[in-house]
Amino acid sequence: MLLRVTSEIDDQTPNLKSITQGKDVVSGVAHGELLSELVELTLDQHHQADSLATTRQAISDAMSPEALVDAAAVIGNFQRMVRIADGTGIPLDKPIAAMTADMREELGYNDFESAKNTPPVNRLLAWLAITFRPLMIKRMTAQRNRG
Amino acid sequence: MQAFAYSNSPYPIRPDLPEAYRDAWQQLANPGTWWSGRERVALAQEVRNAQGCELCANRKAALSPFADVEGRHLATSKLPSSVVDVVHRLTTDPSRLTPSWLQEVTSEAFTSGHYVETISVVVTTLCIDTFHRSLGFDLEPLPAPHDGQPSVYVPEGLNNDTGWVPMIGQAQDPEQDLWPGARMVPNVIKALSSVPDAVRLLKTLSAAQYVPMADVPNPSAGGDRAISRAQIEFIAARVSAINDCFY
Repeated sequence: MLLRVTSEIDDQTPNLKSITQGKDVVSGVAHGELLSELVELTLDQHHQADSLATTRQAISDAMSPEALVDAAAVIGNFQRMVRIADGTGIPLDKPIAAMTADMREELGYNDFESAKNTPPVNRLLAWLAITFRPLMIKRMTAQRNRG
Repeated sequence: MQAFAYSNSPYPIRPDLPEAYRDAWQQLANPGTWWSGRERVALAQEVRNAQGCELCANRKAALSPFADVEGRHLATSKLPSSVVDVVHRLTTDPSRLTPSWLQEVTSEAFTSGHYVETISVVVTTLCIDTFHRSLGFDLEPLPAPHDGQPSVYVPEGLNNDTGWVPMIGQAQDPEQDLWPGARMVPNVIKALSSVPDAVRLLKTLSAAQYVPMADVPNPSAGGDRAISRAQIEFIAARVSAINDCFY
């Protein structure tokens, strides 16, 4: 959800499939493929140090060394958040669950084991939330532009 | 030598990152709410052991995380084997944990408070180690534990309405600082609130590694980073997907 909102602010349209399918899918996010590669190699259990070094250099050259550091920090942050969520069995927050029902279906998130922690969303509520989602995104974007 | 000095780093490290990491290391070494400093550092060591643990790798490859996979954890601490198992599972296969598993592992000696604090230590260690791994840095040596007893503090207003562990519903003094003035508090922030210091540490680290908690719903937040908020959220989504995290 936040990816979609923040991408629209940048006049980009993210390809959500790149979230689940990785660097080989065009992401629609600036340097998304490089960033995806950094995530994949960082989390790879086989620790491909050479490949990771090459990707670091590529990001540093294409974006900046500061961007590389920020990207590594975000990877670290979400290694934390996923474990808090899955370790405590929390459901997805109700408004987000309603607004993202279609995205989760499209991406196959409902097949994840931890999907069991979130009760199914009322169909009418989901329809309403998804219908009004563009309006909400516009409001958030306008709020940002005013800021 | 100061921890997290990054004096040989080929990349410019924002000062708020090592500040947050040093704070985390300090807290890791101190007695917590349910674990002593020595135990907390031992939990952190097991996070590192888990990533090279053959039993964990075999179990992750098994159809069920509770399949009868033979072997022993790669463990070096004196923690009870059941606690080692909890740490290793949280580290290597968190998306397949279940409420019935948690019910089985909790006991008088390993309460939900111990469990929540264990999660806090696991994620603190892992988020910092991951940053180092991503940038090709050696892992920071774990801190020397400090003496003292855990506080055994239980905050007011805990309920069992959400998830598998008790959480604060409405924050009261002295927990007013956990989510001040927030209209809606995401479950992931409330999740560790039965150990309030775990939420405080989470906020410190998130502000440095991501954006301050209060700014998360604001799509313009994060503007002082070298990557855009869309790039930040893209990375977040990709990490979550690789971890099979529904949330």
